Formats: sequence, C-alpha cells, structure tokens
Amino acid sequence: MKSRLALLLAVCISCSLVLSGCWNSRELNELAIVSGIGIDSLDGKPGYRVTFQIINPSSSSQTMGSTSNQPPIVIVSATDRTIFGALRKASRRATRQLFFAHTQLVIIGESLARTGVTSIFDIFERSHELRLNSAVLVSKDTDAASVLKLLTTLETLPSMGLLKKMQNTSQVWGENRRVTVFEVINGITGASDFTINGVQIVGDVVEGQKKSSLEQSDPMVGSLMSGLGVFKEGQLIGWLNGPESRGTQWMLNKLNETNVNVDSPDTEEDIAVNIFYSKTRVKVELQDGKPVFHVHIAEEGIINETGGFVDLSKEKELEALEQGIEQKTADEVRQAFEAAQKMKTDIFNLGNELKRIHPDQWEKVKQDWSSAFAEGELDLRVEAFIRSTGMRLKPYIPAKK
Amino acid sequence: MRKEVIGPFQLFAMIVLFELGTAVVVPIGLESGHAVWISILVALPGGILLFMLYTYLYRQFPDLVISGYTRKILGKWIGWPLSLLYLPVLTYNGGRNLREAGDLLISSSYDRTPIFIINSIMIIAVMYILYQGIEVFSRTSEIYFWLIVIMGMISNFVVIIAGLVQFKNLFPVHPGEWIEVYKSAYPNIWIFPYGELVCFTAVLPHFKTKNKIGRTGAGAITLSALMLSFTHAIEMSVLGPDIYSRTTFPMFTMITLVNVANFLQRLDALVILTLIIGVFFKMSIYCYAAVSITADLFHVKEPRKLVIPVCSVVLYSSFVSAENYPVHMNDGKVFLENILPFLCAVIPVLLFVVHLVRRRFGWYR
Repeated sequence: MKSRLALLLAVCISCSLVLSGCWNSRELNELAIVSGIGIDSLDGKPGYRVTFQIINPSSSSQTMGSTSNQPPIVIVSATDRTIFGALRKASRRATRQLFFAHTQLVIIGESLARTGVTSIFDIFERSHELRLNSAVLVSKDTDAASVLKLLTTLETLPSMGLLKKMQNTSQVWGENRRVTVFEVINGITGASDFTINGVQIVGDVVEGQKKSSLEQSDPMVGSLMSGLGVFKEGQLIGWLNGPESRGTQWMLNKLNETNVNVDSPDTEEDIAVNIFYSKTRVKVELQDGKPVFHVHIAEEGIINETGGFVDLSKEKELEALEQGIEQKTADEVRQAFEAAQKMKTDIFNLGNELKRIHPDQWEKVKQDWSSAFAEGELDLRVEAFIRSTGMRLKPYIPAKK
Repeated sequence: MRKEVIGPFQLFAMIVLFELGTAVVVPIGLESGHAVWISILVALPGGILLFMLYTYLYRQFPDLVISGYTRKILGKWIGWPLSLLYLPVLTYNGGRNLREAGDLLISSSYDRTPIFIINSIMIIAVMYILYQGIEVFSRTSEIYFWLIVIMGMISNFVVIIAGLVQFKNLFPVHPGEWIEVYKSAYPNIWIFPYGELVCFTAVLPHFKTKNKIGRTGAGAITLSALMLSFTHAIEMSVLGPDIYSRTTFPMFTMITLVNVANFLQRLDALVILTLIIGVFFKMSIYCYAAVSITADLFHVKEPRKLVIPVCSVVLYSSFVSAENYPVHMNDGKVFLENILPFLCAVIPVLLFVVHLVRRRFGWYR
C-alpha cells in the first residue's frame, strides 16, 4: 500500500513537471513584439536589409497614459543574405528575442521590388510564427525602413496606422486593397501576375521619426496610400495610379465602395454618386487563337451630392445618370486594361481563369501568355443602377435658364 | 473476469474518430489535385465493402480476433505465421501516426520541445487508457466524438464566415481529371484511411449487439467520409491546389488565415486539439489491435500485461522509423502502396474465399 502511494506521488510530481508545458515557455517580458517588417535591397549586392518595428510596451499602452517620453516603437535593423539570418543577427541590437506572431505588415522597398520579390516570402510560409495574412506594401520612391520609422497620428502604433489607412481607403475609395502575403504567394505561383499596394511618404522623412513631429495639428510628414505596383514575374515594372488603379480593382471584383462624379445636364462632373455595391463577372476564352475577355460589371449607387440642377424625380433623368456612371466606369476599366496591356502583364487573374475553365485552350497560349494577353480583346459590359437619391428629390439649386 | 462489451454508439464514435485521426489534418490523395474531396467520396463504397468483409468474418467467428480465425480458416501452420505479420505492421503504423503527430506539433507550435517528450506524453496517455480496458476507452470515445464534431463545426464555420472559401478552387472538374480522381481513390485513399479499419477486427469481438454491426459500421464510415471530404474541400478551396500540395499541415495553415472582424483570429488551438485527439484514438486502436493479436498468438491470459511493452515498441518505432519528416512521408508512400494493401485487403479477401470454399465442401471438422 505504501509503495503504491509513493508511486502515485511520483507520477503526480513528474506529470506536473512535464505536462505544464514549460518546455517551450517564453515569458512575455522577455519578448520584443514585432509589429512590422521592412525589407530593402543592399544596392546591388545580394542580400537584404531587414528592418523591424518593435512595440515599446511602456509607451504604447493607452490605459496608463503616456508615462514615458519614449516613442511607441523602436526600430532595429540588420543585414544578411537571408531574411532569417538578418532576423537572428538583429539580436545584437535588441535586448529581447524578436517575436513575430503579431506582425501585421510587411513593407518592401521599391528598389528591392524592382529586382524581384519572389524569394522573400518563403519564410512567411515556412515559419509558424509569421502569418500568411499579414498585409504587404511597397514603398514608393523610398526605402521600406523610412516608412517603418514614421510615427503616426491617431494610432499609437505606426504599422497599425498604416494597416488601418489601407483598410479604410480600400473600404470607401477603392484605389487600393488589402494585399496579403497569401495573395502574393498565389500571384507568384499562379498563371497571372499580381499587384501590390504602394505607400508614399509626403514631407520630411527625418522629421517624421521624431515624436515632436506629432506635436502640431498638421503633422509635418505623413504616409499616403498611393496606387498599385504592377509586378511581372515577381519584379516591379510600373505603377498604376488614380483611375487606372481603381479600374484594376473594379476588374478584379475587389471594389467595395467608391465615389464616381458624373455630369449633370449643365455642368461636367458635378454629381457625386456613391457606388456601394459592385460585382464583376469575368469569362475568358480563345477565339481564333486570340484571348477574349468578357467582363460584366453590375453596380449600384446612391446620389449623394449635386452641384447643379437636375430633376431627380424624373425617371428619364435618372436613366441618363445611370448611363453616365456606366460610361465613367467603363472608361476607368478600359484605362486600367490598356495600361496593363501596354506593360504586357496580366494583373487581372485572367490567365488563371482561362487555365481553370479551359485547360485545353490554356495549353495553346501558356508559352507566351503575356503577349497573348497584350493582344487580347476586352468585351466590357457595365450595368449601373441608382437605388436612392438621399433625403431629397429635386435639389434646391435653381435650374439654369 | 467479466467480458468487456461496447455498445453500438460507442463503436460508431470509435470508427469516426479512428477514420478522422490523422487523415483530417494531413494532405491525402495528392494525385487528384483540387478534386481530392471527390476522391474521398469515390473511395467510400470500397471502404464500406471492406468493412462488410470484416464484419462477415466476425459474424462467422464472433469471439475471435483476426489472428484467431486466420488459424481456424487456414490451419495452424499457415495461419500462425501469417497473423504474426500483422504485429510489425500494426506497431509500425501506430508509430507512424505518433511520429506524424509529434512532427506536426513541433513544426506548428512546440518548436523547442524534443520529440521524445511529446511522443512519450502521448503514448503514456495511450498506455493508461488501454490499461483501463476497451470499455473505458469506448466510453471516452463517446465523449470525444461530440468534442471533435463541435470543434470541427466551429472551425469550418469560422473559416466560412471569414469569407476565405473560394469555390472556384474546387470547380470545374475536367474530364481528364476524373481519371486521376479514380486513381488516387483506389488504392491510396481506399487503404488510407478506410482500409486501416482492419484494426477493428480486434475490437469487434467485444461488440454486444451483433445484428446492428453492419448498420453501425456503414453509418460511421459514411459520416466520417462526409466529414473528411467536406474538410478537405474547405481546405482546398481556401488554400488553392498549389499551397495545399506544398503544406505539411493544411488545416493549420487554413486556420491561421482566419480573421473575422479583427476579433476572431488565431484559432490554432482548435486545430492542434483536433490533431491530438484524432491521433490519440487512432494510435490507441492500433496499439489495442497489436495487444490483442499478440495475446491471442502467444496465449497470454491477461492482455493488459502486454500494453506497456507494445506501446514502448510503438514509441521506439516512432523515432527510428525516419530521420526527418520528408523521409517519413516517403516511407509512408512506399508502405501505403506495397505493404498496407496486403494486410488490409488481400489477407481478408483470402480468408473470405477460403472460408467459403471450406464451408461449401464441409471441410471444417
């Protein structure tokens, strides 16, 4: 009986030692939580300069109020031939082990993007800490490190700020969208090419790293979501801006909500229509060896502002406006399509679509898909509906005589 | 000592958990690309047929495990060595399941823990439950069946409402691909996971309602096939054929992508739990089958005494079988194509035919 009791005790003690899971333990106060990663090229040499934006817990907590005068983030960077190498080398500058499970943002410097991004993302797949759904940005006209160093207003954590900026603008304006590492990998492996959001710095970069830059109501520097970077075979070859980038989103069926200005009977572009629903259907086929892209866009909008007189109680006027929206949308999509054809990059997933639906036809063109795409024909159909005119019918503005 | 018995629902739960086991977490039937979910359904009739074969043999000899009736049917001199073949295969495959679970746990979250510790903890749990007996085990599986079903529903539901599912990754299935669907269904998916049900020949003698066996088994296999097919279809539709074919742990990759309203995310624990529960039941049944066949072959009066030695062999084989995960996967392919079909299908069919012939001509004494 006594020996059994001793055995039981031994089992209990050994279980509590092993099963508590402390083997893998990492204490929170021994970790440096990385919120953003920036990857730059080393002018011509192989390898990367990797910049980590680390959260400074004592000055980013909101409940305590800013107790210290330190900025909410700390920047650490290291260079190495591989990203993992750089990440381990960074330990020479960081007091705590870098922890990547909360990384939300990956920024790629423009010069690195121009030489190719294909090999960067393997670590995001292979590691169990890094997430496939972190967002990717390309820093336009600057390196990734300077974007990460910028402090932001409203949001304490700059990467969170950038992320929210991106989400916000893609939600209501639609020139950008949240591109994740997962999408980029699918873009690299798929038959088509892909686009990544651009981010730009406006103002003085050096000032933006100081906390004092935030101590005025109009911050000296800021970041700005700007256009879509076009990648061909993993290399950045150009930028799509304004209507071209919104047209791309339209074509990809990624548009949530946006604003289109259409002409009223008297004045140009003085009626603001809020597009709140848009659905794009794409069919691809080969006709006489040439790809034909059938694109059908259906969109719905609300009239939010009129600059001149238009009798919105009349069905005919509304129909004319709907036609105006269709015209504007088609214009933007055509612009985007032509820009892509000029660059010979299929950024609209059309190759994947052809491969999926007609694998036999795909076999014929896959050798030289980008030139086949460049010669392809766009068969575009847009249908727009105005669902509401807001709180008023006729505007108070008098009609011109 | 009283004979241990299991009820119909308990058997049902055990079969479902066994089938889901590792098959739900690792990629299966890679040859069929994005149509793997159809392959799973195509292999289902074959799986049910195989199970019917086992139940037929069980009805003929309701008190014997597979090694027992092998000796009855083929005679002592052929039957004994042939049944002995089951032991290395069962222990090796049990070890493979353990290894797979250990490796996946290490690569997904316990990166610093030695595999020996993880595997030992799991095998200790198996030893404990088998030492308690099959009845305790079956009651446990009754509870965990619901747990797995609920967790599976939560994970799939969350993935769906996160808007990750893209049905264009699943359709269309072109005529040429149907051949590949069929090819990966037979024999690969037919044997793994359906053919592995051969382990249940050791459990069935404890089943108390003999006339319900067919319905219970077929129902359980159909349900698990539907669950497997659905889960793999969701995994494929979220990840796409490219990532699905390269990932070691598709379910984990899928769940890491979930982000519902910046609030519901990092549900990795659900997947890890599914893996651990599934492997626990699968491995336990493998070990149990090995224990009861050993006890039968060597006339051990109390099978319990064999639990610790057999489980130790399983633990040991989980290490020495492969140096690393790629080697483990390649070994698995060879094992699945050359050895497992022999024990899951060829021997039972042989027994069935010989038994029919002997009975027809009255060659039983």
